[in-house]
Amino acid sequence: MLCLFSMYWVMLSLFTMVPPPGENYANPKTCFFHVLFKAGALAFYILSALFFNSFVIIFVVTVLLAALDFWVVKNVSGRILVGLRWWNEINDLGESVWKFESLDQESLARMNKKDSWLFWWTLYITAVAWIVLGIFSLIRFQADYCLIVGVCLTLSIANIVGFTKCRKDAKKQFQQFASQTIASRVSSTIQSAFSVV
Amino acid sequence: MSHNSDTIPLHASSQSDIDEIENLINSSIQSSPSTVLPARPPSPPRIPVSTSPFIQSNLPPPQPKPQPTIQKPPSIFPSAPLPPLPPSSVNSAGGNLSATGFGSPPNTLTEPVWDTVKRDLSRIVSNLKLVVFPNPYREDPGKALRDWDLWGPFFFIVFLGLTLSWSASVKKSEVFAVAFALLAAGAVILTLNVLLLGGHIIFFQSLSLLGYCLFPLDVGALVCMLKDNVIIKVIVVSVALAWSSWAAYPFMSSAVNPRRKALALYPVFLMYVSVGFLIIAID
Repeated sequence: MLCLFSMYWVMLSLFTMVPPPGENYANPKTCFFHVLFKAGALAFYILSALFFNSFVIIFVVTVLLAALDFWVVKNVSGRILVGLRWWNEINDLGESVWKFESLDQESLARMNKKDSWLFWWTLYITAVAWIVLGIFSLIRFQADYCLIVGVCLTLSIANIVGFTKCRKDAKKQFQQFASQTIASRVSSTIQSAFSVV
Repeated sequence: MSHNSDTIPLHASSQSDIDEIENLINSSIQSSPSTVLPARPPSPPRIPVSTSPFIQSNLPPPQPKPQPTIQKPPSIFPSAPLPPLPPSSVNSAGGNLSATGFGSPPNTLTEPVWDTVKRDLSRIVSNLKLVVFPNPYREDPGKALRDWDLWGPFFFIVFLGLTLSWSASVKKSEVFAVAFALLAAGAVILTLNVLLLGGHIIFFQSLSLLGYCLFPLDVGALVCMLKDNVIIKVIVVSVALAWSSWAAYPFMSSAVNPRRKALALYPVFLMYVSVGFLIIAID
């Protein structure tokens, strides 16, 4: 009953989101994979209670799907659908540094709007869905299912935070670059004006 | 940059704009090398290094040539600063475009998916070899697990949980959940322990390390699952335990003050002993 309710809620929120009209998806295969593992993890978790009695299988399959989804979003669909990438490195001094990488502004502007809409909305919806499922398992005092939800939620939130930071960093980089361009153009124009004189 | 303005004609042709933008990017890269490093070319297999080349490796000035050359001592992934001129369009998953006239290097934004997979897999294998197997460069532990990743630990923890669960004749689900929670929470708590002792260790690096050190216990658990003799189990588990502790020792001990080494190492040893008991006691 609770499963059905949660499924209904997830479906409702999915259908109320309207994609931007006009273009089609530019990378349908990537979009498909982007959604596949997320939906698979959620669906397996929700439906498995009906079929499987074994917690181990539910745990392993759900967490495996969630981990695969994390990898796909971070390494593949983030790159291809929105042109962003983030990772963590440890520099010479032994400190951890978060690195962000993005395409230049023209490419970003040319990214398919539908692709990026799908990317961001599915990220948010997945996190919300896991929170809802977590609340349900808390209500039922099922600590082991809370474990699954906790792991999947952590992975979703990590991706959301990483990509949001990356997008902000890309905007900042572009603004810096733009102001540098303007400043240097102005100075070169002035210099060439003076050299003509 | 000023030398360029002499050669740029007054009227703005597109080619001069492109040159100017390219030079701007080069100079901005020279000034801010750390925030947007565009390329992280596929990391080579780990070439261990001694400490001395390391100390001199301040980031050398970036070369204008877009090649993924290794500018630092090679044990670190080649984070050569390359001009951030990614190709202007991106294809579908299988595609790999080169730039349109900028001569940009292969950067990780546009590499084919298979390259990413291979790179990650090779990183897992190299991390494993570095942590668990003896190699003469383990004595530089802080730098050894630079390229941490959590995939290896994830697989090892799940494998250990599955093996224990399979060996158990009753309560399989609880065994798995307990094993997973114990290992995951244990790794987090051990890391916090080191941090609270005033040690210098990075959270994820330590999690990754503790996960990789589970590999010998995985092997031990597998053998115990196949052989049912108690004596053999005890021997195998002791060997695996010693191996795990030996693997974890240099990393943990170098991270803390020498007087607090025992305080940092004892909980690690305790956790591995408890996992060992779990392996032996399962029937």
